[in-house]
Amino acid sequence: MSPLLASVGAETETAFTMPSINYYAIAPILILFGAAVVSVLVEAFVPQRGRRPVQLVIVVGSIVAALAVTIDLRGTRLVTGEGAIAVDGPTLLMWGALLVIGLLGALLMAERSIDPLGDAFAPRASALPGSEDEQEFTRRGFLQTEVWPFLLFALTGMLVFVASNDLLVMFVALEVMSLPLYLLAGMARRRRLLSQEAALKYFLLGAFSSAFFLYGAAMLYGFSGSVSLVAISDTLSAKTGEGSLVAIGIALLMVGLLFKVAAVPFHQWTPDVYQGAPTPVTGFMAATVKIAAFGALLRVLYVSLGGLRWDWEPMLWIIAALTMLVGSVVAITQTDIKRMLAYSSIAQAGFILVGVVAASPQGLASALFYLVAYAFTTIGTFAVITMVRDASGEATHLSKWAGLGKKSPVVAAVFSLFMLSLAGIPLTSGFVGKFGVFAAAIDSGNTWLVIVGVVASVIAAFFYVRVIVLMYFSDPTPDTASVVIPSAFTTIALTASAVMTIALGVFPQWLLDIITQAGVFIR
Amino acid sequence: MTGSQFGLFGTDPWWLVILKVVAIFVMLVLITLFTIWWERRVVSRMQHRIGPNRTGPFGLLQSLMDGIKLALKEEIIPKTAHMAVYWLAPVISATMAFLAFAVIPFGPTVSIFGVETPLQLTDFPVSVLYVLAIASIGIYGIVLGGWASGSTYPLLGGLRSSAQMISYEIAMGLSFVAVFLYAGSMSTSQIVAEQETVWFAVILLPSFLIYCTAMVGETNRAPFDLPEAEGELVGGFHTEYSSLKFALFFLAEYINMVTVSAMATTLFLGGWRAPWPLSLWAGANEGWWPMLWWLVKVQIFIFVFIWLRGTLPRMRYDQFMKFGWKVLIPVSIVWIMIVSVARLLRNEGSFSATEILVAGAALIVLLLAVSWVAQSRQDRRDRKLADAEAAAQARGFDPMAGSYPVPPLPGQTFTYTSRRAMAQGTTIVQDPAAEVADDGRDSNA
Amino acid sequence: MNVYTPILVLGLLAFGFAAFSVAAATVTGPKRYNRAKYDAYECGIEPTPQPIGGGRFPVKYYLTAMLFIVFDIEIVFLYPWAVAFDQLALFGLIEMFLFIITVLVVYAYVWRRRGLEWD
Repeated sequence: MSPLLASVGAETETAFTMPSINYYAIAPILILFGAAVVSVLVEAFVPQRGRRPVQLVIVVGSIVAALAVTIDLRGTRLVTGEGAIAVDGPTLLMWGALLVIGLLGALLMAERSIDPLGDAFAPRASALPGSEDEQEFTRRGFLQTEVWPFLLFALTGMLVFVASNDLLVMFVALEVMSLPLYLLAGMARRRRLLSQEAALKYFLLGAFSSAFFLYGAAMLYGFSGSVSLVAISDTLSAKTGEGSLVAIGIALLMVGLLFKVAAVPFHQWTPDVYQGAPTPVTGFMAATVKIAAFGALLRVLYVSLGGLRWDWEPMLWIIAALTMLVGSVVAITQTDIKRMLAYSSIAQAGFILVGVVAASPQGLASALFYLVAYAFTTIGTFAVITMVRDASGEATHLSKWAGLGKKSPVVAAVFSLFMLSLAGIPLTSGFVGKFGVFAAAIDSGNTWLVIVGVVASVIAAFFYVRVIVLMYFSDPTPDTASVVIPSAFTTIALTASAVMTIALGVFPQWLLDIITQAGVFIR
Repeated sequence: MTGSQFGLFGTDPWWLVILKVVAIFVMLVLITLFTIWWERRVVSRMQHRIGPNRTGPFGLLQSLMDGIKLALKEEIIPKTAHMAVYWLAPVISATMAFLAFAVIPFGPTVSIFGVETPLQLTDFPVSVLYVLAIASIGIYGIVLGGWASGSTYPLLGGLRSSAQMISYEIAMGLSFVAVFLYAGSMSTSQIVAEQETVWFAVILLPSFLIYCTAMVGETNRAPFDLPEAEGELVGGFHTEYSSLKFALFFLAEYINMVTVSAMATTLFLGGWRAPWPLSLWAGANEGWWPMLWWLVKVQIFIFVFIWLRGTLPRMRYDQFMKFGWKVLIPVSIVWIMIVSVARLLRNEGSFSATEILVAGAALIVLLLAVSWVAQSRQDRRDRKLADAEAAAQARGFDPMAGSYPVPPLPGQTFTYTSRRAMAQGTTIVQDPAAEVADDGRDSNA
Repeated sequence: MNVYTPILVLGLLAFGFAAFSVAAATVTGPKRYNRAKYDAYECGIEPTPQPIGGGRFPVKYYLTAMLFIVFDIEIVFLYPWAVAFDQLALFGLIEMFLFIITVLVVYAYVWRRRGLEWD
């Protein structure tokens, strides 16, 4: 608390105690939020042509600054803002991961040399698709630079989401994180109707799930008289046997959170949104939302509902098993690579849930490792997809990938690496991640869930490997897409994610050490 | 009866509540009848006419007769109307107009048949918020009335009306903030009590002026009576209403006028408190006298309403919205910031409030100047664009475009083109507007 | 007696009066049928056919409505702050200024993007 603030406020008859806030501990959030506000001002006052470079400086600068503060905060373990924000090991780890992935996502979104018309976004998202206005905007080379404030707001929301220690802050963060993503999903330059449909679906279903979350929070508040996770946990252990309100509350809260991680049966939005959204946004969203939503889910389950684990574990067992199986099986039938990856992300959510269900420090650590590994692989995967193109834009139909290995061996090799990692083949990060969650699950006695997981992995391996086979063991056809040489933006993002995928597969120990040091959630 | 929740309020016996309710109801109806007559007489004088003077002394019963006449007229309901909503809309409008008066203080505590009671129906800690809420529900009556008529003009009038009212409601809501800041309460009786030494209209003059502007917009009165702009929209939202349903809308409009005047009196002019020379007399603020002061203050506001109507032409819709959004709202917000700083510094005792408020007023003037310069630059750019478009049209003016010859409009020049050239379609229309549009800003919002 | 009860009484009286007037209008006036009279009024021309429910409104009105919500919510936050201003003192002032400035940033954006223009 600053001494300036401390001097006033105590003199009046109604005592008002100032909330104590450790501003440095939440500095990453403040930096990003401040940058987002500045970035809105840039949209308002900087002339059209100057906006992009200024925005890029703001975005990259603020993310790097926030990352530096996060690294400097390592070892911090405190609750601030009157119990609203918890800055502890897992929080900082997820902040770091979110910021790095956010930076890579920003680089992908900044790419301009892949599409001859400009970047991946519609010149004006408000113009009617196919209208004369739209062609006019394209011809004049307009850019929708609003994507940058959206990116920053979404990242801010995610940082708050994983750190929130009470349900109300968590809800606000959920909205701050989701609303920009809904908009970003509707801004694709090509196939705009598909993109707008994706945005609307995402928005309607997302708003619905937020309402579920809020209703669940209200139920838990009704039960415990507080929205603080710790207070709810205390009330749960004090008042046992008054279950129905709590059960309904937890179930509704879980609907809201499981929607965000795309677990079956709350996964229907995933394929449409992944397919319709601009590919850099899909990559950013697929990686970061998974981290943020699992971060919040883990915190709620471990901090607040740990005492009730016998109630929620069976529910999550079933959901985890269903998620793995449905995701893997349905992915086989997909012919569009973005849709296939959407179902793959559902299956991956199932694998992470196996670690969550373990409900042990080991389970937490394995889930965290899996999340980081998955995020890097995913953003790399979508980076490759932005580069594989034909005359109409990105060539997402699988048939167009046939023989790509012969046309562009390097890109095909990198893509194969990501596919192998997603399939969980040794020497890639995916293997270490899967091994971790399965080991944690066996330790807590969930052997049958591991069996389901292994079966699902085998099914999933089929469609991942099928893409590799398609690329290398079939001849290029006239339809085969070509790979566009990107600028430094995409190259850096792609290289970083490929390096991390191998590094975490071959030398996973350093990240495991960091996770071990991070410990568990603060109570 | 569990005793008082808020001062003497809520302790009245049931018969007194009914008495007060009936008194308020009758008073509002009478004020409405009087105001309609008064408006017609005053406007007549301003236009060198005499106005209604036949029915009753000075024509005072004219409005009553008009009301009876309306009741005896045939009611025409268009067959396109949505029946339930069409019936409900005037009821909402009228009911809400009456309801807003529940928290207006008319005077101090008096004794009625041996019971000590404040001259106010009721009050609670958020009564100003209640008035705003009721006023917002009143807008439903207008929108629904316009929508349910199933006709073009009422629909447009209703939409315009709602857009206008919500725009000015923001400015109105913001002007209250400074009052709450100084009064430390949202209860009307408390706010009147806080103005014992000095009226808020004096120390919070900008708030008062903003409120006065917003209240004219909020009641759809001239010069802001765009929803009923006869030249554009016939009668606005009540075009399709006739007979007593129309009378209810009319009644609601006049009661709303009284309500906003009463709110202005309560919040800014010391409510029922006697003005300065009268306040020297000790008995001026006791007993039933304050009701008279209150009535006089309200009547002054109503006279200003009439005066405005008799004097000013109607504003154009875009100018009106621009004024609301680009002048009233930013000025209110900046003013709130200045007032809060002034209040804080006064509490701390480091500066005198006057110094700060003078500095604040200077700041607002500066801000207005800046925004005026920015706006005029934008307007110039827009004009340039429009000129370029007009020039383009003029260059390509084709008298035969609509299949029969038309003369050129102002700004268009007639150039002779041979019939044969036109038949071959050689008239080339260039579009220099496109070059001007790309000035670093976006042409679509 | 509750402080809110008088409002209910006044509301009942006002509603009764309004409902009575609306209902009475059908009884007191004459009825003379004329087909054209019951058409929607459009200055004498054949009325434009109206889609059920009024059809689609111009997007401009939605923009106004959304801006209204933004500012109305700002007002909702300003009121309790203003009432408790003397207790909250400097802390409240700083917090509220941060909030107001954030809203003003949005306001500036909307203004510059011509979201406040009507024609």
